[in-house]
Amino acid sequence: MLTKIISALLFVLALATVAPAAEPADSSPKSAPAVGAAAQSIPAGMDVKAAGAVAPPPLQTKVKPNRTITISMFMAIVGVTLGVVIWAARRTTTAADFYAAGGGITGLQNGWAIAGDYMSAASFLGMSGLISLYGIDGFMYAVGPAFSFIVILLVIAEPCRNAGKYTLGDILSFRTSPKTVRAVAALSTVTVSLFYLIAQMVGAGKLMQVLLDIPYRVSVIGVGVLMVGYVAFGGMKATTWVQIIKAGLLMSGTVFLALLVMLKANMNPVAFFTDIVNNPQIQDHVRLTVLKDAVARPGFDYGQRFLEPGLFLKSPLDQISLGIAWALGAAGLPHILMRFFTVPSAKEARKSIVIALFINGSFFFLINIIGFGAALYLSPQLISSVDKGGNMATLLLAQKLGGGAGSFGGDLFLAFICAVAFATILAVVSGLVLAASAAIAHDVYVNIFMDGKADQKTQVKVARVTSLFVGTAAIVMGLMAEKENVVALVALAFAVAASGNFPCILLSLFWRRFNTAGVVSGLAVGTITALALVMISPVMTYPQKIADDAKKVMTTLEKKQAEGGVLAEKELKSLEKARGDFQKNDGGTSMTGLKAPIFTLKNPGIVSVPVGFLAAIFGTLLFRDKRAEELFDEIEVRQITGLGISKASDH
Amino acid sequence: MAAKSYDWAKIARNPKYLELRRKKRRFLFSLWFCSSVYYFLLPVLSGYFPDLFKIKMIGVINFGYLFILSQYVMTFCVAIISTRMANTEFDRLTDELVNEVG
Repeated sequence: MLTKIISALLFVLALATVAPAAEPADSSPKSAPAVGAAAQSIPAGMDVKAAGAVAPPPLQTKVKPNRTITISMFMAIVGVTLGVVIWAARRTTTAADFYAAGGGITGLQNGWAIAGDYMSAASFLGMSGLISLYGIDGFMYAVGPAFSFIVILLVIAEPCRNAGKYTLGDILSFRTSPKTVRAVAALSTVTVSLFYLIAQMVGAGKLMQVLLDIPYRVSVIGVGVLMVGYVAFGGMKATTWVQIIKAGLLMSGTVFLALLVMLKANMNPVAFFTDIVNNPQIQDHVRLTVLKDAVARPGFDYGQRFLEPGLFLKSPLDQISLGIAWALGAAGLPHILMRFFTVPSAKEARKSIVIALFINGSFFFLINIIGFGAALYLSPQLISSVDKGGNMATLLLAQKLGGGAGSFGGDLFLAFICAVAFATILAVVSGLVLAASAAIAHDVYVNIFMDGKADQKTQVKVARVTSLFVGTAAIVMGLMAEKENVVALVALAFAVAASGNFPCILLSLFWRRFNTAGVVSGLAVGTITALALVMISPVMTYPQKIADDAKKVMTTLEKKQAEGGVLAEKELKSLEKARGDFQKNDGGTSMTGLKAPIFTLKNPGIVSVPVGFLAAIFGTLLFRDKRAEELFDEIEVRQITGLGISKASDH
Repeated sequence: MAAKSYDWAKIARNPKYLELRRKKRRFLFSLWFCSSVYYFLLPVLSGYFPDLFKIKMIGVINFGYLFILSQYVMTFCVAIISTRMANTEFDRLTDELVNEVG
């Protein structure tokens, strides 16, 4: 029965990937796919860059992977992972199996899986792109995600493993009114996971569209069907192995690519960076595109400027705010928290975080080599002509270092890197669906509606059905969000995790007086503040700003026309586009009815995290709860010693 | 639920437990604090003192690049230090305590 369903899934996906060959490719997907976090803040208006300063040589404008090789690699990944699902499905009979893989994952395996959960396509494609276009700022951007494991390692992982069972709700409801807190925690988990999930789905859809001309709808549905299949049938066991496979593929691809760059640079970092500084194309790019100096400033070293901060990250306060979100947000992400419960003990949880930290740290370090390598060996002009956000840098570099476009080596390596990106997306979305389903099935259904009295068979059935619903909802929302600005959603997920979840987790583990009122007000106020600030921040789309930018282009070009100049075809096109944009957007307002952002930072962390903490503390102090204080001894002894640990295999 | 029940309040007053708790808290929170200070130095220095980042150290490689690299080294060091402390000190104290009360 199960095998039949899975082969049906495989068939649907096969259709989904092959069918598009017959459909005409959509002609417009040239803009940045905004794969996620890293791509988020590429300044809008980069496309109206220093037009006509130097006539650039005709550049490649599309990555063209070899469809046959790439699709066979995709199918190989799908085949292997579905094999894992069939294997895991047979071994998933209890709730503990479904949510925590029966506690039977080792520290080493879990470390790879956590790293797999955390390294998204955004970091793989977006961050190297950022470095290739903005130099050292992109490398600085990558420090945050590498650092975010520190807080998890030091204060979150072990205590949570000792005090919890499957979900965020389990940890927070330990000594509070369980039903209220579980409901709020479930709501927050579903919100965070769905935001993140939709952003990933939209990124996946756009990536597949750009790479393989697979229509957006087909790829969102294809990815969605697979992820539901993994989670509904294989539960945590399958999800974990999908993560491990993905992390292994991603690390091999990254190591190999970085190694090729280093070999090309003769293993000499000083010479490598000297070449970057002296590269005329990088110098031109910094001067014209980034700094917009039409005439070179005398004596200014534009090449060296590429290695100096401030080309991309311009507001120090925003950087600090982003730094806070990275440092605390990861510790509040429900799908990461959930992974601690798959290992048998706190010691193994600690080991898994250390392993994840090393993998993750090495990954982001290697991304810097790839990014700078892409700038030097491809040129920023080429990278931004293919995608103005730089998201295709890694792929282009793989093609080039594999032997160049059209060569077998180039095709093969490019296909492999595409397949890695595909596996990455599949793994990340599966982890998110599992976390959201666990919150609904375990917290809401089993513990709120059934008072914790449901037999194992029912629990697993409910969890499976829930994941089907969550997955379907994600597909539908992903389809609806095609034209939306999903970048805000990633910022939102991290901000909510850092401002709502994190303060509550920390206080419930370490503060005796913390109680129900504290959890509810902390989660609610932290979440709402983060949400509200993002809604009025510059990451939203402001039609008025688009109209104003279009107006500028119109003025420049119309002036040129009026002075008797003849516009090139390209200029005529952009004039037409600008007129259209102006007409469509003039006088328009953002989703929240604003013409311009009120809150000027892209990241709300610097305000919303302290607000979340204060709300949690005030809520607690307003309503004193003796019972919560008495139970603190128990949770504290448990979290410190691991006594009475809830073995995931206990029922 | 675990089969065995414990007298949590009694364990919470056990001197061995109090020692473990004090050592763990002091060590982990101060390590967290120090690494965070170092981490936030990055946006603060690069944002407010960009000239510092521009000082060339090895050929064209400047202080900024090396400082960013040092963040990775710091992260790895924190992981190694805390693992060593946990494996030797904390696990030993925990085992002693668990043997005594369990």
